[in-house]
Amino acid sequence: MNCGEIARLAPLYITGELEAARAAEFDRHLRSCPSCLEEVERQARLDARVREVILAQGTDVSELDRRVRDLIAAEGKGHRLPRLRPAWRRWATVAMGSAAALVLIVVGYGSLGQHVPRLYADAAVDHRLEVTEQQPRPWLRDPEQIALLAQQQGITRAAFHAITSRGYRVLRAKLCYLDGRSFLHLVLSDGTHEISLYLRQSDGKPLPGPVQEIANGKPLCMSDLAHSHVASIETPELVAVVVTDQSADAARNLARFAAAVL
Amino acid sequence: MPHSPSLLRVARQLATDRSAAEDLVQETLLRAWRSFDQFQTGTNARAWLFRIMFNAFHALARKMGSRAVLMPLDQASAETNGRGQTGFALSDAAALTEALGGLSLEHRTVLLLGVVEGFTCRELADILSIPIGTVMSRLSRARQALRDRLTPAGSASKSERSAAVCPEREARELR
Repeated sequence: MNCGEIARLAPLYITGELEAARAAEFDRHLRSCPSCLEEVERQARLDARVREVILAQGTDVSELDRRVRDLIAAEGKGHRLPRLRPAWRRWATVAMGSAAALVLIVVGYGSLGQHVPRLYADAAVDHRLEVTEQQPRPWLRDPEQIALLAQQQGITRAAFHAITSRGYRVLRAKLCYLDGRSFLHLVLSDGTHEISLYLRQSDGKPLPGPVQEIANGKPLCMSDLAHSHVASIETPELVAVVVTDQSADAARNLARFAAAVL
Repeated sequence: MPHSPSLLRVARQLATDRSAAEDLVQETLLRAWRSFDQFQTGTNARAWLFRIMFNAFHALARKMGSRAVLMPLDQASAETNGRGQTGFALSDAAALTEALGGLSLEHRTVLLLGVVEGFTCRELADILSIPIGTVMSRLSRARQALRDRLTPAGSASKSERSAAVCPEREARELR
């Protein structure tokens, strides 16, 4: 695979649509070509940023949903539907409130991005899209294939199997980018909820965010976002980031467990 | 309705104001309800809804016969407040929002659906009724266009690109 093919296939690689053999070739090229690696990582960083900014805009659909339900109910009863509001005509007009909307977007993003390190904001967004909203993704579900993928990411079988002990079950896995770095995204179940565990090899740099406690000799950081709780630990070998929308305790418990077994 | 937040998020980037965006989503959901017998069980309901929304959007654009309907929210904002493309004085998020709003509709669409809503390239091809090769190249060009808009004067990124020549490519070019 050459650089031209890398550029052409990058969209499929980023969405995880490349078949396994081609994805492995792609990975091999990235390991040997710093500029292609930088290019793919830059794309991933920009993608994560676009997601953050757009998703930080509130989407209150309660009134819209109510209106649609009313219209459907009326149509179901054979009533003539009211005409759509003449708002269609407003498509051609300049939005009077757009400057205010822009301000709200900035303020809305500020609440997410000002105090939360990018790694955790990316992880929270990724968890919300892929776990909470269950958006379709090409997940690996076969335990053997997941273990193999983990190994390719430098996570030993022993570490992988340790995570799946003590009541946590791996449901699915895929690769993703958080803060421009490749992570293995494992979706675990504790029997009642799905929790995201993001893993990558450690590069020795300390994790961002306030250290809440020392778990098994490792610093454990916590960040609470609007709808997610993030906990992270770093061992000499691995970085682990936990995201759940359940509770801060649930995030902390899995991070403590990871600190004990990884 | 599980997919209405997702639909509204994209509609807001297509329409010029919130009411128009809500009307587009409303029309989409009503069309979906009326043609639910055409939905194939087991296929991706979310992708089906987005396909309906883009059909509705393009039908409207044809009906209006005006490019004005495609004017993005933030471009309108930039023009009305006289700031043009100088969003870098604002925060990073505002600059990115403005840069997104300044992209062509084609580019903005593939970025929103692919990057924000997480559709795969194959799903995008289905939603937009274009070949997957076109989706891939459009996504690449859209990412590049966005990066160019986020780089002041749009020149640094180009020089950066030419400076960051892959050794393999460089070797090929030297042969």
